[in-house]
Amino acid sequence: MSTEILETPASPATQFDIDRTAGNFSYPEQHEFDAGTGLSHATIDYISNVKGEPDWIREFRHKALDVFLSKPMPTHWASHDLDNIIFNKIRYYLANAQKPTRSWDEVPDDVKRTFERLGIPEQERRFLAGVEAQFDSEAVYSNIKAAVADQGVIFCGSTEGLIKHPEIFKKWFGKVIPTGDNKFSALNSAVFSGGSFIYVPPGVKVKHPLQAYFRINAENFGQFERTLIIADEGSEVMYMEGCTAPKFETTTLHSAVVELVAMKGAKLQYVTVQNWSANVFNLVTKRAIAHEEAEVKWIDCNIGSRLTMKYPGVVLKGRKARGEVISIALAGDGQHQDTGAKMIHAADETTSNIVSKSISIGKGRATYRGLVHIPKHLKGCKNNTECDALLINAGSRTDTYPAITVRGTGNACQHEASVSRISAEQIFYMRQRGLSEAQAMSLSVNGFVNDLVRQFPMEYSVELKRLIDLEMEGSVG
Amino acid sequence: MSLEIKNLHARIAGNGTEILRGLTLTIEKGKVHAIMGPNGSGKSTLSKVLGGHPDYEITDGDVLLDGASILGMEPDERSRAGLFLAFQYPMEIPGVSNANFIRAALQARMPEGEELEATDYYAQLYEKMDMLEMDRKFTARSVNEGFSGGEKKRNEILQMLMLKPKYAILDETDSGLDIDALRVVSKGVNSQRGAERGFLVITHYQRLLDYIVPDEVSVLVGGRIAMSGSKALALELEAKGYDWIKEDAAEPACA
Amino acid sequence: MNAVVEASERGAQIPECPTVMTESPDFASRPAYFRGRQQAAWERFQSLPMPARTDEAWRFADVKALDLSPYRAAGAVSDAQQAVLLARSRGLGETAGRMVFANDRLLSHEVLADDMRAKGVIWLPLEQALVEQRDLIERHFMSGDSLLGSAKFAALHEAHVKAGSFLHVPRGVEVALPIEVFHWLSGDGAAVFPHTLIVADECSKVTVVDSFAGASDGPGFACGVNDIVVGNGASVTYVAIQRWSEKTLAFHLNNTSVARDATALALRLNLGGARVRDEAASHLRGQGGRSDMLSVSAAAGAQIFDQRTLQIHEQPDTASDLLYKNALNDRARTIFTGLIRVEPVAHKTDAYQKVRNLILSNEAEANSAPGLEIEADDVRCTHGATSGTLEEDEMFYLQSRGIPRWEAQQLITFGFLSEVFDRLPCASLRDHLTDLLHEKLG
Repeated sequence: MSTEILETPASPATQFDIDRTAGNFSYPEQHEFDAGTGLSHATIDYISNVKGEPDWIREFRHKALDVFLSKPMPTHWASHDLDNIIFNKIRYYLANAQKPTRSWDEVPDDVKRTFERLGIPEQERRFLAGVEAQFDSEAVYSNIKAAVADQGVIFCGSTEGLIKHPEIFKKWFGKVIPTGDNKFSALNSAVFSGGSFIYVPPGVKVKHPLQAYFRINAENFGQFERTLIIADEGSEVMYMEGCTAPKFETTTLHSAVVELVAMKGAKLQYVTVQNWSANVFNLVTKRAIAHEEAEVKWIDCNIGSRLTMKYPGVVLKGRKARGEVISIALAGDGQHQDTGAKMIHAADETTSNIVSKSISIGKGRATYRGLVHIPKHLKGCKNNTECDALLINAGSRTDTYPAITVRGTGNACQHEASVSRISAEQIFYMRQRGLSEAQAMSLSVNGFVNDLVRQFPMEYSVELKRLIDLEMEGSVG
Repeated sequence: MSLEIKNLHARIAGNGTEILRGLTLTIEKGKVHAIMGPNGSGKSTLSKVLGGHPDYEITDGDVLLDGASILGMEPDERSRAGLFLAFQYPMEIPGVSNANFIRAALQARMPEGEELEATDYYAQLYEKMDMLEMDRKFTARSVNEGFSGGEKKRNEILQMLMLKPKYAILDETDSGLDIDALRVVSKGVNSQRGAERGFLVITHYQRLLDYIVPDEVSVLVGGRIAMSGSKALALELEAKGYDWIKEDAAEPACA
Repeated sequence: MNAVVEASERGAQIPECPTVMTESPDFASRPAYFRGRQQAAWERFQSLPMPARTDEAWRFADVKALDLSPYRAAGAVSDAQQAVLLARSRGLGETAGRMVFANDRLLSHEVLADDMRAKGVIWLPLEQALVEQRDLIERHFMSGDSLLGSAKFAALHEAHVKAGSFLHVPRGVEVALPIEVFHWLSGDGAAVFPHTLIVADECSKVTVVDSFAGASDGPGFACGVNDIVVGNGASVTYVAIQRWSEKTLAFHLNNTSVARDATALALRLNLGGARVRDEAASHLRGQGGRSDMLSVSAAAGAQIFDQRTLQIHEQPDTASDLLYKNALNDRARTIFTGLIRVEPVAHKTDAYQKVRNLILSNEAEANSAPGLEIEADDVRCTHGATSGTLEEDEMFYLQSRGIPRWEAQQLITFGFLSEVFDRLPCASLRDHLTDLLHEKLG
């Protein structure tokens, strides 16, 4: 077996991989299991057979495929770039095994080396309560610290979750995001593989974050992980996900579905640092249900991909539930970050908060789409939305499309958005103090996102700052 | 050692309006040189031109810093070469803390691979802030954001104290200052006077010069120096206004 | 259940009129050059689809409510009613001129100010302008595309239009007093197509006030277009007062073109109507141009005010400022969808957009979608939307001074809405709008 590394020049592996170049390497492919190119009911049977799934999930998948095929592309509002996805040229399942190991030593060498370069084992030792590492369609490694598992916390892949814990899994799977929610949630429901299943028992507070790392190694491939997290009454958990792929010439599809359930009084935080390479279509559906007095917070940072469409949402189902979306998008040349948030208020005294900041560089385009819905007969609901866009170059573009519906008295909704640039006078001022133009730019941009970056876990915020510095160096001159 | 401005001609880029029309002036190290002049005489343009602001283009003349021309240098290179500008209207930089900003400016002056020592840095910063009677909370606040006029000017002087330039140009530093702030700001400037530093103090009013006593006073009219003299000249201008110089100027100011 | 009875009654009342949906309008009476245009518009109307629920331009709207089949071109009003309507056609005190239409028929055309004719101002009923001002009509009449979703209804208007006012203010002329135009709609099931075209040449200045009103309480259909062309350095103030009957389905469609250093200020006051679709598009086409777009809506009962706006910056150094305020009572619904669009060339754009909803009832619903599309980097753009209810502290303060709760609510609502009138330059106009708002809020 060959272990020759196919790589393009990259900076040395960094501790936390959110450097665009650090993920740009790949190893030769060799998959025991390959569902082939294209999508049909036979593809689904292949996946279900390989995974040894129960019949109910096989049926669920077949139905979902029909829904996917029946739904049109949402290009009446979304980017026409979606038309460039050729579904019958994509491979839908690639794996070497269906069961992850519990030890890095048992992970195949080249795969292990991939994750070592991305710094995952190192992070696990330092500050994580558990890690799952997915390589193409399946997790190759999954481990949870014994102390956390002993408290009854379940942290495993979606297949293991649905087979071993059907009583919890079935209750919520597909309930937060139904198959037909949109074309891509239907696609995911048909061919999903990998992703995490997490259950935190009542009252358990997981001190350190659980992390999943999603790696695409193969070309012409689609990764469709499925994540379901249930934080039972009064529990607390933070989940972080990172993702990278090598830069191929061909397009790659990533289409995940993430469902979160926060039971009464639970606190759930979901942190994403998305750094796909510029050939990846990243079309993700993420939604949470927050029960009484529960708090759900999405911290979402989108840096990579060709086109990202992602609008994390919270259905505020119980009284005094709270939802929050903190979002940073960096749209570089040729990228379109189409992100936003959805807040559905379905109980009294629910509050939601959306803060979105985007930066468009070169010909990059950042779009915010928001939905805030406060239907009738609710009391004391509040939403606050702030969207700020920063444009770096003359060809940069930003769009803001919020939609707000409020019915009845006793609720308050506020949306504010602004667009700004870094003024020439501001740059001159900083240069007069001895900073180069690129330094001045990155200082300004970091200043622009500073209040949000502070909400990221420390390890990520340091890297974010470094990444912005790198981007700004390329944008001047 | 001096900052030498020789026959400087400058105009607004792309527009052609000439603002500086053969300005010649020498700021010697160890000296404070005041420039006064009526509105529109080119005082603020002079400071921006020296700083290398892209809005202006030089059509003739030269500026030598300790003998070497700075006209081909970028604004940040001029700064690192030892030229400091205290702005009349300091810019606000949202989200960037004052402490980080000054630290970045100091770091930019250090050789590659060398890191600023944090404890020393803060010790220095606090010492200077105490001298300028600035509250410690200003370290964490965004640069100039929401500062009052006086706070902004103190912050300019704080940066000057930290960056220790060879030549400092103070552009109407007294504008927008009440008497207490003026006293504090002047104290900061005077503390920096000495053999290793030269000052160019640009002002419209004489009152600043009661606090920062100049070695020489020049009057700028119509983009060039119309007259030079001692501190007494400033008092004369205060008493008589600028009109008598305008009349005396060899060429009428452009309409 | 009594649809048959209603239909036969309606039929009995205005038997001579064709329905606006299916029967071709009478083109024969128009000048030949215009006839072809109307025929084309009629074909366009018939071929364009009705708005669908999934159309982005009709988001939040109930498209099923757009059934036009009950409406017929309005017949003439009786002599007795004409006299009544003429007497009621008094809004502002002093005006430069007044034109009155009822059911798309001209009742009166008075030129009151000397500076109108003496300085070459042309102010004519549309029918006359079609004949006498062919050049200007061909250049400006509905010259802008319908960009906000109602292309089909703009085509319907163009096919049916016969009444309205045409104003041309020549270079450098200032018409000091406002010009006032009344459009009355009378009779159940009657349809009118009022048109307003204002062409202000270089450095001219004028104020026009359109008053749209129902003469009776019955159902009706109004499909109006108001277009404003503001030349270099000119200034136009346009006010539309909408008081259709509360059973009227109405469209008001606008394109405003703002040239170099020109200013356009438009204010829409929405008081009447059952369902009102109001589309306003300001095109900033010359450096230094500015457009102010204002709206005040007092929605009550089952009224639906559906407003769509566009601020499109096509040239650098242009400004636009939009402020729409809605107060909602009972089961009323409002929809605001706005877009600021900054073209790649339009640097130094200064654009602002704000919608504020004051919700006064538990059944009222406010929908807001303020949008931005920015393709130039050196711009100042902000937008905002707020939806909320009365501040209890404010109410308590007023009540503690002995003001009953209902009155306190009215006072606060009135203050919230009428504040927008302060943006109008003319005092008599402000007073008039204030009176009308008082009347509606009771």
